[in-house]
Amino acid sequence: MYKYSEKDKKILKNRTSEFKYQVERRLNGELTEDEFKPLRLMNGLYLQLHAYMLRVAIPYGELSYIQLKKLGEISKKFDKGYGHFTTRQNIQFNWPKLTDVPEILKELASVEMHAIQTSGNCIRNISCDHLGGINNEEIEDPRPWCEIIRQWSTFHPEFSFLPRKFKIAVTASKKDRAAIEVHDIGLRLIKKNSKVGFEVYVGGGQGRSPFIAKKIKDFLYKKDLLNYLEAILSVYNELGRRDNIYKARIKILVNELGKEKIKCMIEDKYKNFANRKLELNDAQIKKIYNFFKLPIKKSKNSIIPKIDNIEFKQWVRQNVIKHKVKGYSVVMVSLKPPGKPPGDMNAKQMNELSQLSYDYSFGELRVTHEQNMLLPHVENKKIYDLWLKLKKIGLSTPNIGLISDIICCPGMDYCALATARSIPISQKISNSFNNYKQQKKIGDLKIKISGCINACGHHHVGNIGILGLDRNGEESYQITLGGSATENAKIGEIVGPSFPEKELMKALETILKTYKKNKVSEDEDFLKVFNRIGISEFKKDLYDNS
Amino acid sequence: MIILNKDKPQNNEYILLDDLEKIASLHKQKVILTKSLWIKKKQFLRKSKINTGIQLNSDESLDEITDDIFCFSLIQLNFISFKDGRPFSVAKQLRKKFNFRNEIRASGHILPDQYIFLIRCGFDTVEIEDKNIDVWVKFYKMDEGLYYQ
Repeated sequence: MYKYSEKDKKILKNRTSEFKYQVERRLNGELTEDEFKPLRLMNGLYLQLHAYMLRVAIPYGELSYIQLKKLGEISKKFDKGYGHFTTRQNIQFNWPKLTDVPEILKELASVEMHAIQTSGNCIRNISCDHLGGINNEEIEDPRPWCEIIRQWSTFHPEFSFLPRKFKIAVTASKKDRAAIEVHDIGLRLIKKNSKVGFEVYVGGGQGRSPFIAKKIKDFLYKKDLLNYLEAILSVYNELGRRDNIYKARIKILVNELGKEKIKCMIEDKYKNFANRKLELNDAQIKKIYNFFKLPIKKSKNSIIPKIDNIEFKQWVRQNVIKHKVKGYSVVMVSLKPPGKPPGDMNAKQMNELSQLSYDYSFGELRVTHEQNMLLPHVENKKIYDLWLKLKKIGLSTPNIGLISDIICCPGMDYCALATARSIPISQKISNSFNNYKQQKKIGDLKIKISGCINACGHHHVGNIGILGLDRNGEESYQITLGGSATENAKIGEIVGPSFPEKELMKALETILKTYKKNKVSEDEDFLKVFNRIGISEFKKDLYDNS
Repeated sequence: MIILNKDKPQNNEYILLDDLEKIASLHKQKVILTKSLWIKKKQFLRKSKINTGIQLNSDESLDEITDDIFCFSLIQLNFISFKDGRPFSVAKQLRKKFNFRNEIRASGHILPDQYIFLIRCGFDTVEIEDKNIDVWVKFYKMDEGLYYQ
């Protein structure tokens, strides 16, 4: 894991005292709320429906057991005893007091954490494949690149007041677990003629105008990454629209100018004005890579115990993934137990999972963009013991990748922008599909729920997407089908008119029936069936008899 | 209003000019013109001995004046809103692409919290209200030169 240098620590300390000063100036009236807003947002502090919300950065989803323990303490001391993990691999506290925030930031800084650039019109937390560095299929570990980009983008003097927020994701596999094609910039490490470099995607995004990113560079040398990013951001800062918040993201600029034109402008800036100082040399890259060495010393002949316990077997089948080192596994910790808000974890769970990570996984943890957690390096023979302990604290739900493993935004229960509630919908679904066998029979299926068109719940790229709307004061839910955030990223198609809340579950059942009757083999999952038969069958079954 | 150069206040030697008629009567003075006024009067001003600065609002680009940049003793980038970060890129472009070595000044709606960003993008001076000098200087002194870029 990355460890803070003295410089990192000083920068963070200065930022914490600067923010304290900003809060003071807000409280004594020197700063108007309009002026304070972008400053507090750059420190992850939102004003929500009922209270302030503090979003804490978990760079590329990596946490140490010390950090998770501290998050648990903070949730207990300054919040209501829980936290919410987000699709940017961050954590949100929903009830902090403004006057407590400088103190929370101080506590976070003591474990090398902060809330910098988790919000505001700047470059946000860099997200990453959650299996980076521990799977067999990737070109190389993508996490060091996330750290390199994190450093470059932190307090960037030119790019801290962009037209709108800016999100970057990195993967190193063909299989995309980081949703890179729905990011402002998506980077994939690839190998070409025995050289490793990046494929660069630009202009993906969700919200009210969803777009799949365009590939603008087939191969970029590693050393040039930061200069190329500067070129993209510079074009965006100058030309991104500032007259309409809904048209301000780079996806709109890419779409308005067209792929070729924006590519030309970026290339021009990149070729003519590259900054030598930003060129990365091998020593710099190696220095960062050294932080990400695996803590496992050597492989082992360790196997997962064969225990005659059906629950354990189901959990192993669903939540345990092969590690790149023999004798070890990656253990997914589902934050989607039946009937609970997706991504939430209470203080006790944080504290105990922190201890489990220390005892079983070299003190490391990760947050996934699908709002789950994982223990990255667990020795196989210890997996049964670990499962027993996870089960005790309610963190052994065997549903990774299944229908109840839902991405869901906070919706109207918390968010000032929401037009409908989303958490109760996901609770209904996870309560209704709480049986493992029943879920397994349905197969891999990603449901994603947003409480408004801003799409924080990624509904556009859900195999089944659910969007909460306000129809004359009534909550109503529009369904999209066929979306995907993986390597074949696709925006889902709207199936038809929206459903009132009380009819939504029935509609979902109808969709599943249509899927089941058209499924031709056991391994044909929902998305495959949809891609084969199209939306019309689903439409017919949903609307023709009503 | 006062001009701040790092932590040193100084008087504004330039006059912001919005009246075409006054131009003819100026001798050896320092003036700042709007972009449109410059474009209209540049033939005359190029020949005169007037020290000419130009003001560009955040929503005005360098288009149409790229060949004139060497004529300016000062370029004032005026922030319509502190949230509009375009002048940061314009300043950087002036320094890097056009190799502009004269004064770049920030004016308009800017916050002391942005002071270090301004300096790092190539601004030399800022125009601020006299009463705010202390807080601007405080931000200047808080900077320890620790950057990632």
